[in-house]
Amino acid sequence: MKSKLLLANKFKKIGWIVLIPSFILGIISLYSNAEIKWLDAKVFSILPELSIGKPNKYFQLIEANLTNTILGILCIIGALLVSFSKEKIEDEYIAEIRLNALMWSVLINYIILILAFLLIYDFGFFTVTIFNMYTVPIIFIIKFHYSLYQSSKQMSSEK
Amino acid sequence: MKNKIKIHRAIKNITQEDLAKEINVSRQTINAMEANKYVPSTVLALKIANCFNAKVEDIFELDEND
Repeated sequence: MKSKLLLANKFKKIGWIVLIPSFILGIISLYSNAEIKWLDAKVFSILPELSIGKPNKYFQLIEANLTNTILGILCIIGALLVSFSKEKIEDEYIAEIRLNALMWSVLINYIILILAFLLIYDFGFFTVTIFNMYTVPIIFIIKFHYSLYQSSKQMSSEK
Repeated sequence: MKNKIKIHRAIKNITQEDLAKEINVSRQTINAMEANKYVPSTVLALKIANCFNAKVEDIFELDEND
């Protein structure tokens, strides 16, 4: 029983190294709106301006700051590397824990989204959806490692 | 499903770690099976039986919930 989607164990370490700093910096930049000046650039955008009820512009070069672009991408890559790397010994029981954690994270992701729909309106809602983009891998990582920790804790009492 | 892995392990006098190494799984897996928290695949059940020179039915057995 081998999953073709999983990477070698060493990618997990790389994933953590990418994820932790970009996650922290991402939260800081979200709250402070800080942008790194030298990351201003001319970029290609499919949909530069979205205005409802008016004709939209498509496929243009625009001026933009790439701080969020880079942090967002690094965050996703880091989280995916951590999530999609094998454990040191990857076997069928670990695969079951993995699947269970994945189902958990998707479920919680949408529970959060439903609560956000019900309780948060206007601009605040969009802030929540920014977080919501990352909840699946983040909750997966937390749940998966917590389950692994629990099963190894039970183990230490027995020989 | 019930199993007698622990008993067979005691007869052969090997630890969870030894058994795990022999059949190429993590120690958590052996522990979870012994605690009846995990039902192994047919492949893994056959490997365990092989390791103890026994038949699968000698080690694994259906219980009333199955």
